[in-house]
Formats: sequence, C-alpha cells, structure tokens
Amino acid sequence: MSRAAEDPLVRSARREAAVVLVIWAVALIYSVGYCWLFGYHREVSELTFVWGIPDWVMWGVFAPWVACFLVSLWFSYGFMTDAELGEEQTPPSEAAAAEARDA
Amino acid sequence: MPDGSISAGYGTIAGLVVLIAASVWLGLLAQRVVERGSFMKGYFLGNRGLGSWALALTATVQSGGTFMGFPSLVFTNGWVVALWIGAYMVVPISGFGIIGKRFAQLSRRTGAITVPDLFRERFGNANVGLVASLLILFFMTVMMVAQFKAGAIVMKVSIPEDIRNLIGEDQSEYGTWYRIGLAVFTVTVVGYTLIGGFLAAVWTDLFQSLIMWVGVMLLLPLTLLAVGGMAAATHQLKNEVSAKKLNADAVAKHAPTRAPAEERLKQLDAALRQYAANHEGALPPDLGQVSAELREDPISGRPLEYYGAGYQVAQAGAVRRVVVAMTPTAEAEDPTADAAEEPGDEAGWQSVLYSNGVVKSGVFSNPGDLLTAPGPHDFHPIGTAFSYFFIWVFAGLGSPAGMVRVMACRDTQTIRRSIVLLGSYNLCIYIPLIVICVCGRALLPDLAVSDEIVPSLAVQTTSHFAGGSLVAGLILSAPFGAVMATVSSYLVVIASGLVRDVYQQFLNPNATEGQLRRLSYAVMVVVGGIGIGANIHPVDFLQKIVVFSGTCGATAFVAPALMIAYWRRATAAGTIAGMLCGVGVTLTMYGIGMAKFSEFTPFRPFDIDPIIWGLAASAVAGVLVSLRTLPPDEGLISKLFDIETAKS
Repeated sequence: MSRAAEDPLVRSARREAAVVLVIWAVALIYSVGYCWLFGYHREVSELTFVWGIPDWVMWGVFAPWVACFLVSLWFSYGFMTDAELGEEQTPPSEAAAAEARDA
Repeated sequence: MPDGSISAGYGTIAGLVVLIAASVWLGLLAQRVVERGSFMKGYFLGNRGLGSWALALTATVQSGGTFMGFPSLVFTNGWVVALWIGAYMVVPISGFGIIGKRFAQLSRRTGAITVPDLFRERFGNANVGLVASLLILFFMTVMMVAQFKAGAIVMKVSIPEDIRNLIGEDQSEYGTWYRIGLAVFTVTVVGYTLIGGFLAAVWTDLFQSLIMWVGVMLLLPLTLLAVGGMAAATHQLKNEVSAKKLNADAVAKHAPTRAPAEERLKQLDAALRQYAANHEGALPPDLGQVSAELREDPISGRPLEYYGAGYQVAQAGAVRRVVVAMTPTAEAEDPTADAAEEPGDEAGWQSVLYSNGVVKSGVFSNPGDLLTAPGPHDFHPIGTAFSYFFIWVFAGLGSPAGMVRVMACRDTQTIRRSIVLLGSYNLCIYIPLIVICVCGRALLPDLAVSDEIVPSLAVQTTSHFAGGSLVAGLILSAPFGAVMATVSSYLVVIASGLVRDVYQQFLNPNATEGQLRRLSYAVMVVVGGIGIGANIHPVDFLQKIVVFSGTCGATAFVAPALMIAYWRRATAAGTIAGMLCGVGVTLTMYGIGMAKFSEFTPFRPFDIDPIIWGLAASAVAGVLVSLRTLPPDEGLISKLFDIETAKS
C-alpha cells in the first residue's frame, strides 16, 4: 500500500522546532557560560558597572535577551512559514456518543 | 517605619475596584459570545478564534509569581536573579515555535477541545486522555491554589489605614484583612470565569496583561527617581547582606550569646556618630579613628569588619541605610560556631551594625553577594543556573493552559505574530522588574514580608504627590491582574478536565449541554472554595510552588507532546510511560529533598534540578516503550500526519 505524502505543515513545523531548539541551546550556553566565567565568585571590588548594572548581568543576561528578541523577529518574519490548519473535525469518540444519544 | 510597611490611600483601593469591575464586565461580554455556539467548544475553547494579542499575552507562564514570588527573590538575592529568570529570553520563540503550529493543526484534525482530548484522539485510546487529565488536575490545582495568597496580599496592602482601623488592630501577617482580601479575590475571579468561561479568562487576561505593562512602565521611573538612579542603588547594595530566615526558637536561643557583640556594636555606633558629626556626616575611612577597644568583637576577640568608608551616617531609625560593621564570621574554634543549628548553616552567627544605628544578629550572607553570583547563601549555583534554562522554557512548553490556547488560535499567522509580541512584552516586563526590585532593596531594605515588595514600592513611591494613590492603584492592579489571569485560566483547564475528560468521557457520555454547564459551574465554585481553605494558612515562598508545578508539567508533557506532534511511531503505551516516568522522577526527587532538608525543596544530584532528570526519564521511557509495543494504526497516523485527501 503506498503511503500518502507527509503534510508540508508537519515538515515545516518539524524544521522550525529544530531551529528553535538550536537557538535555545546557544542562548543557554552563552548566557550561563558568560555568567559562570564573569559573575560567579567575583570580588565586588573587581566589578564594573554599565548604567549601574553589574557588567556580568549586562553582557551575560540583558544583552543576549535583546539579541534573542532580534532573532525571534527573524524567525517569525523570515523563516517560519504559514500554512492552512485544516477543517475542524468531530472526534470519533464524540461522534459515537452523538449516535448513541440519537438512537 | 523601619520594616517598610506603608499605608495606601483611597485611590489605591479605587484602582483595584475598577479593575475588578472591568474584569466582570469582560466576563459578561464573553458569555454572550459563548452562547452563540456549542457550549463545550465556546466555553472551553472560545470557538478557536484567538488572535495574536490574545495568544501572545495570555498563553504564557506569567502568574502571581511574576509580581510576587519573582520580585521577592530579586529583593532577597539581588542581581543573580536576572540569570535565574534569564531563560525567558527564549520563552516566546520556544513556547510557540516548537509545537504551536502542529498542535493547532492536530487539534483541528482530531476535533480536540482540551489537551487530554488531543492526547486521546491522537492514539484513539481513552487511557492516554485519562492519565493526562489526572496529571493536569493534580499539578494545576497545586499551582492555582498557591496563587490565591498573592491576590489576597495585594488586596490587604491596598486597604487604607483608616478603614483597617475600623475593625481594630490587625498586626498579624495573615490576619483579618488578609482573609477579607482572600474572599474578595476568590469571589471576583471565580465569578467572572464562571460567567464567561475560556473567553472570559482570555479577554480579562489580555486586559490585565496590558495593565501589568502600564504598571511596570510607571513603577520603573518612579522607583529610579526615588532611589536616585541605578548607580546609587548599586552603590548602596555593595556591602548589603541578606539574613537567612530562621525560626523564632533559634533566634531566642542565640539572643543571650549575641548580646555582648550587639552591645559592642551599639557603642561603636555612638562613636561613629560623634565622628560623623564633626565630618559633615561622613563615616571614617577606617576604624582607626575610634578607640581600640571598640574595634574588636568581644566574642571571638578578632577585629570587626568595617564597611562604612565612603558612606554617610543615616538618621537613627531611617529606612535607607548601609552596612557599617559586622562581627567576623564564626569559625570552628569560635564558641558560637556550634550554636548554629540551621541546616546548611556553615557560616555561623554574626551581628551587624547599620548606618541608621540598628543592630541585628543572625546568619548573614557575605557583603556584596547581592551583586555577584551565586548570590546570598549560595542561592543559584551554576548547576541550578543551567537547570533554570530548562525549567522556564519547558514549563512554558508543557503547560496545558498554554497548549490549549495554541489549539484555540485562529491561524499560523497568529502564532508568528505572537512570538514577536510576546518577545517585546517580556523585554518590557522582566528586565524592568529586576531593576525595580534591586532599587526596592535599597529603598526598603528591611521590608518584613519580601512578597510585598512590588505593592509596597507602588504605595511608597507615589505617596508624595497629588493623585499618587490613584497611580498606586493602577500599579497595584498589575500583580492583582497577573494573579487573576492565572487563576482564571487554570480554573477553565481544571473544570474542562473534570467535565470533559472525566465526567463526559467515563461517567456520562450522553450528558446534555445543561448538565455539562451546571457541572462546569459547580467545579469552579468548589475549586474556589478549596483555594480559600488552603490559603487561610498559606504556604511560604509562592515561587517554589510555581517552580514545582512547572517542573511537573514539563516532565509530564514535553516529551509526550513532541512525540505526539512529530513521531509517527509513538504509541499510546509509550506516551503514558513518558508522562508517568517524568512526573514520577520529579515527585521522587521532591520527596527525597523534603525528607533530607525538612523543607519544600528538591534533591538535586550535582546541583542539577529534577526537571532535567525528569525530562530525560520521560523521553527515554516514551521512546523505549513505544518501540517495544505494536505500531499505531497506519490509517489513523496517516489522517494526522499526511496531506488530507478529499473524502469520497
């Protein structure tokens, strides 16, 4: 029996999910890695401040946060595709119950 | 008022009353829309009509925790909490981009109204739906019940002093006004949700999210102005210390031991004030300027640690102050060292003198810990920091309240726009809240109940100008709105779980619309009653409950959701195994943690949070059991994964 072709929405959604997981992993490695190197167990006297914010918070959390927002702009308007979600179906279990009620 | 307690004006309570009235009005509007179509799809799914704004600003994990638990953590632990919440930078893209599009499609192809519906119809197996229902009911009830406390606290703080006095003195933290607040909050939120169902929850959630944004945008400049700028706040916190929460017995037991050190610090304060009086209020560059006897800790015989250089002396009893001197940390040979009995209390007891003359004893963090990681008392070790990038991302992804809203969205364009909307919203909420609460620590350092930092700042920073109490009311609406939004959306999910997935599926498949409607209302009223009952003596640290519930959701549903969405070979047995193993590992680790540490905290091998172990267990169990069981029916899979062909 030949199998019908996979819905393009399933393929695009799978690809987009993989890209999102990569973005998440990069954000995790950068943010936690940067803060670990420059924020953990540091002497207060060594800290520098950007607008009153400790340097490791500014470059380890706030800056990548803004970068992630820019990436999400690209993802939403430059990468993610639109597709028809399809017609609403009646669940088989509900259809069976409706038949029983009618009977 | 050194504890930072403040009194609200009439405008504050008026602001909240307006918010409540608007929410009820939206509930009534939603009811009209629900009545146009089928009760179940309208009441529990809003007829799949959610647009970008509604989806973006309502399907997230913002909750009472956002305005109570999270600010409380920033207040207590300082800047490291920015890293703790940092994973929110990817929550918008992960929340909608991983399963959003596919779940929206699957829910249409299966006709699913609830998450358990989707799980059941994906495999044509009622047991998958039942297990999903029971898990959702368990941890969403836990999460929702914990939110009521936050709503009650906001109501309590917003009551003007002269109204409070009408029923006499109420000094206790959870006394009469807390309970009145709890009742008003519950009646409001259960009321409008019951009237309008899912759409009422969504519309009020959207309205309240906008109020939250306005509240934060107002509070940010007000707080920065009050503290004198971010740099001034940071300068003040350079030597600030955080005291560990200790029980009253431990404090009473150590009081006599600490008395000589406290007396010495009071004498030092008098000497320093004398010095400051002759030097335009400035504290000396070192303790060499005061007598040799005062420079020593009478208990250990070692020199006091001095932090006053570069700071000014504060008026006696003033709210804003800095740490001036501390007794050295107790060591093994120190007679007080073995007196410290709190679990994990390796630092021992110390006494501290503040620039306002206040002297305190307790178990303190190191000065400066509020500006560096891992924060006071090793709050956020690196393994935990790593774990929180899993917790926030996958708790959002695995939240049934979030999943059901994706199922209700209009089209894929809505999902794309929601990612950007939520991304900009989170930027405007979380980063400002961190700044606000760090400033709050400088403004109200001795606030007795740290959960009250946002309401207290709202009242404190607006008390000096005309119409300030109205502005405070608007700002206070933010936390109140956040809590109402969470509770209402969870009420809908819990009610739909019981009515649709348990009652209609297993007890009365032929139930009429009237029966389902009445049962839905009854469930909401009962859950509201449970919320009140469980919060008369509420839990401490709301945020711990939020994390626990989010972890349970993630470990139960993330791997199964991915399997359902993308893996043709996934089976019903594999999905059930994934859900049960994930949540089982989480509960086991919390159980071990509670037995080991005697508090509500999980066991974390290698500092790695249960979410990572739970996700791994869930994925492994899901895949292995799926591969060991018979493949699913190819006809059903084809219907859900392949191009739809025209029906003959």
